[in-house]
Amino acid sequence: MKKILLHLCTAGAVLLASLVTATAADSKLVVAMLPKSKGNAYFISCKVGADKAAKELGIQLLFDGPTDSNAAKQNEIVENWITLGVDVIAVAAENKEGISTALRKAQKAGIKVLTFDADAMTDARSFFVNQATPEGIGQGLMDEAARLTNSEGEFAMIVASLTASNQREWQQHIEARLKEKYPKMKLVAVRPCDDLKDKAQSEATALLSANPKLKLIMAICSPGVPGAAEAVKQAGLTGKVKVMGLGLPNENKRYVHAGVTDSIILWNTGDLGYLAIYAGVALAKDELKKGAKTFKAGSLGTFSIAGDNILLGKPFIFNKANIDQFDF
Amino acid sequence: MKRYFRELSVLGALAAVLVGMAIFAPAFFSPQPLLSLLTREAPTLVVACGMACVIITRQIDISVGSMFSVCSVCAGLLAARGWPLLLVLPASVALGALLGAVNGLLVAGLRLPSIVVTLATMVTLRQGLNLVRQGEFVNLPDRIQWFGLSQMAGQLVLVGASVVFLVALALAMRHVAAGRFVYAVGTDAEAARLAGIRPQLVTFLVFIFIGALTGLAAMMNLAQSPQVQPLSGAGLELKVIAAVVVGGVAISGGRGNLWGAFTGLLLLACVSPALIHLHIEAYWEKAIQGAIILLAVVADGLRARGLNR
Repeated sequence: MKKILLHLCTAGAVLLASLVTATAADSKLVVAMLPKSKGNAYFISCKVGADKAAKELGIQLLFDGPTDSNAAKQNEIVENWITLGVDVIAVAAENKEGISTALRKAQKAGIKVLTFDADAMTDARSFFVNQATPEGIGQGLMDEAARLTNSEGEFAMIVASLTASNQREWQQHIEARLKEKYPKMKLVAVRPCDDLKDKAQSEATALLSANPKLKLIMAICSPGVPGAAEAVKQAGLTGKVKVMGLGLPNENKRYVHAGVTDSIILWNTGDLGYLAIYAGVALAKDELKKGAKTFKAGSLGTFSIAGDNILLGKPFIFNKANIDQFDF
Repeated sequence: MKRYFRELSVLGALAAVLVGMAIFAPAFFSPQPLLSLLTREAPTLVVACGMACVIITRQIDISVGSMFSVCSVCAGLLAARGWPLLLVLPASVALGALLGAVNGLLVAGLRLPSIVVTLATMVTLRQGLNLVRQGEFVNLPDRIQWFGLSQMAGQLVLVGASVVFLVALALAMRHVAAGRFVYAVGTDAEAARLAGIRPQLVTFLVFIFIGALTGLAAMMNLAQSPQVQPLSGAGLELKVIAAVVVGGVAISGGRGNLWGAFTGLLLLACVSPALIHLHIEAYWEKAIQGAIILLAVVADGLRARGLNR
């Protein structure tokens, strides 16, 4: 009797094992990607790049996330993926501490974990695919402003607030770049807009009338760019005063096409998704190890790694020519 | 003269600022930018009128900013779906009135303190909106901006409409029975009740009124730009309460008028553009606005002590 049972068990186990290997054989490596929110256009555009990478690498991509930015729901999804036994999890963390417990558990279960867009605790993942450093953003903004004004004349800045730490940091890098490379340019005013488009518009209107020699307005918070653009349009200064800044393509398309706003600076979200998938697969195949200095990701070429941050590199410039290719 | 000393002193302060600007930064008065800035304040003025009524009844409504955002986004979505302006406008006003009615019902019906009720609705509406929109802008069809008129005509219509509204309401508050009821309830609700006024009904209607005005203001703002930011209106409550208090409306109810609120709003709205024209750092903006409010409150306090003596 015991023997029969044992035979049955082995038979069952063999059957199970063959099933597992069968699925593994035809379903290849499974990479699960967890955005902060799956309906958000920003992450949908990350997925476009991720899909492309998955196709090139011949892996299976799972893309799931909360419908709203919900940290608890993110944990739930990670738990499910641990049960499912995926090979790699790539997360944009909604809550740095909150998600880390679940991610450590995934690592213990042998799943490779990396983060993109927003990092988790450093011990809960192998690498962070970092879309932009403050230095890169500051220099990118200042260089583009200089290009638009032939490196001379007055310009003004609109910030979210005078005290927010990320805004302060970007501003410092912008001012450092200005001092170092563009002596003929002059920053005449820095105005806060409290992250409100309407206030940015009022501030920009007053800036334009108070500074008749103004050549350009740079907004480093996303509602500030369309706000400044509306002010320039209403003042009838389209083309005479340039508008540029850090923002989202969909909020600015109208002004870019109307020639009010010249460039929007951000990172290429498609490339971010693409790089995250390539890095995840390389981790699973043990091709990407701790201490690596560079990493090659398919058609995008080689990226540098600082510590455990894979850097996406220079910010991307959206303008009339390419902005319609992005929907977020 | 003595009766309106408080209002006149604010007017004097405003005049002093304007004269100062005329001397030190005459560019402040270039017509086009000035018209643009006034147009931006037109919706705020409409809400400030409503807030003056609420505060005169001895209540407060700090949910106006959130109501403004909800009305803006809903009206924007309707407009984007192709609704004509003639339907979007009443829809926005009705939605505002409905939200105001909820506040009014809780305050007047259940006799809950208005600061707590409207704090709760402020947070609920704001977070609900964040949940649904996640900060995404609503892009409007081109025909919405300036009601399809030229920019100059649209701006004049908005500024003109808000001033006509101010004058009409200010006169009504003084000469129409309903306006006098508002003062009566704010001065002494029990005395008003004995005089045959129903204080709870007046309170309820005042909350509906400010809600409807907020819906109207949201439309006046919508018509100024080709897109709606869901955060639009955040902080509006502080702006209008400050304007009303600076303008001499007593937070303890029963005293003040819309002219004062109007002057207070203009005075506070001048601060930021004036600093820009004088090339003074932005750090001063909120400090100066705060000092103006403090001065107004102290003046009210001293006046109240004088009356009690």
